[in-house]
Amino acid sequence: MSATRRSPVTGAVTLLGVVFLWAPLLLVVLFSLHSTGSLTFPFQGFSLRWYEEIFSSPQVRLAAQNSLIVATSSALITLLLGTLAAYGLARSSSRLRGPLALLFFLPITLPGLFIGIALLVAFSRVQVTLSLVTVTVAHLVYVFPFFFLIARSALERLDPALEEAASDLGANRWTVFRRVTIPQVWPILVGAACLAFALSFDEFVITFFVIGPDSTLPLFIWSSLRRTVDPSINAISSLLLLFTLILFMVTFALATWGERRRRGRGLAEDPLALTPVPVAKGAA
Amino acid sequence: MAGGQGGRSQLMKRAGPLALAAPATLGLLVFFIAPLAAFAVYSFLTGALYDVKAPLTFENYTEAAGSDLNRQLGRNSLVVGALSALIAVVFALPIAYWLRYAAGRWRALVLFLIVASFLASYLVRIYAWRSILGGNGLINRGLTELGLIDQPLDFLLYNRFAVIIALVHIYLPYVVLVLYAGLAPLQPSYLETAQDLGAGWVQRWRRVILPLVAAPAASALLFVFVLSAADYVTPQFLGGTNGALLGVQVQVSFVGTGDYAAGAAISFAMLAGFLVCYALIALGLRLTRLDRVRFAA
Repeated sequence: MSATRRSPVTGAVTLLGVVFLWAPLLLVVLFSLHSTGSLTFPFQGFSLRWYEEIFSSPQVRLAAQNSLIVATSSALITLLLGTLAAYGLARSSSRLRGPLALLFFLPITLPGLFIGIALLVAFSRVQVTLSLVTVTVAHLVYVFPFFFLIARSALERLDPALEEAASDLGANRWTVFRRVTIPQVWPILVGAACLAFALSFDEFVITFFVIGPDSTLPLFIWSSLRRTVDPSINAISSLLLLFTLILFMVTFALATWGERRRRGRGLAEDPLALTPVPVAKGAA
Repeated sequence: MAGGQGGRSQLMKRAGPLALAAPATLGLLVFFIAPLAAFAVYSFLTGALYDVKAPLTFENYTEAAGSDLNRQLGRNSLVVGALSALIAVVFALPIAYWLRYAAGRWRALVLFLIVASFLASYLVRIYAWRSILGGNGLINRGLTELGLIDQPLDFLLYNRFAVIIALVHIYLPYVVLVLYAGLAPLQPSYLETAQDLGAGWVQRWRRVILPLVAAPAASALLFVFVLSAADYVTPQFLGGTNGALLGVQVQVSFVGTGDYAAGAAISFAMLAGFLVCYALIALGLRLTRLDRVRFAA
């Protein structure tokens, strides 16, 4: 590695940025442990009462259960459809590649408000009753591009010689895919599916329009936010943060491991393998 | 499956690997493109309560454009979206620079913190800012305790300022990542060369760094602008009247007043506005030739 440049000013801005990003979130966690309902200092001692409150609430439990069902289904279906689509596009030389890649990317460019309302309109036109199924469908539209971008870039960075060698040795396409391609990329694909899970688990903007009478965790938080200042929101929010953080660490670890296995270096040299940054290329 | 292994591979050969993308293509056509098309048609139909009916009309658009409220909300969306996007990009530039050239062994940790914060719940962030900025919130209570104020400062919450802070908080990590990726091709040695040739830091930024990140920065700018201007949740909880945005009006048309046609017209007017912004940015990059800046890796 070449010499690190000294740059105190940008270092200070970075520190400010990290504090700006994390301080509000950590405050929520801190006050989730507050013994009184107050959201301000002076801090009057720790207590787990807000956590006890949410764990004994049947509404929270039901909402969390619904969120888990929706996020798991979205992640698994995306893993299947997204892997097929990304592999198909990465190994094809058809002229349809460009338009299809655009179609698979397009939902990212549209604000959730419009996706949600368009689906609401469509579902009501064909008289589909709103339920967790419609929510899952909506989440699939939302998370698919993220998964696709990561999966496609992982598949395109593979060395084609390995697949060619396998097929020269007589393996059919399915065997090549199963025994040569997948073993090289599965940690990144599973990592991307975890990202899809996290995005779905936290989705509110689209969900709001297509959920009907059910509830998910973000919807529960939203309705508590509308009512009053309810200190148990702190506890739910903190658990949600913790959960996403764990999920992200699993994702990060899988991707690091996957990259190391593939080419002997870790994400520290290429930490963007797992962030859907190609957004930048598509958007302008 | 009937043809067994041979039949299947025969089929694969004819359709090509692209056939594997068929299920996803079908899914997005049915659940993304078709609904959007139906939504667009709604904007040209006559409104009925929680429904639309014939005949086709352009009136929804003229009515939407004629409404004083919509115009005010449109201006708010423009200002809030543009300021959030600009602040996020200006804030992110030094961070991306530091991560790329000065971070050293801190790079992995700081990148991790930034990406992880991006995944933090959207509603939790809004809630956090409301607790911090509110009349009974952290800042006001803190200042009162310290004896610095006796009345809560009411300019902190329920206005544009609060909405912009929350939106910058939501999108900053994304912008940092885009700019950091944009700097990837620019080797540290290039900066050293520029320095050796006598370029001060202003010149290095102006003539080496900024031209390279102009295209990614413009795309991040557009992305944050669009998502901010169409946000309907943040302004509801933090915006008050001064910070209300056009997205709220769209949401209300569909879940409150039931005026589907009006809501659809506002939505597609907004989308048209976004396309104009996109075209302007693309044109700007092209005219300044900034879209062609490349550095060999």
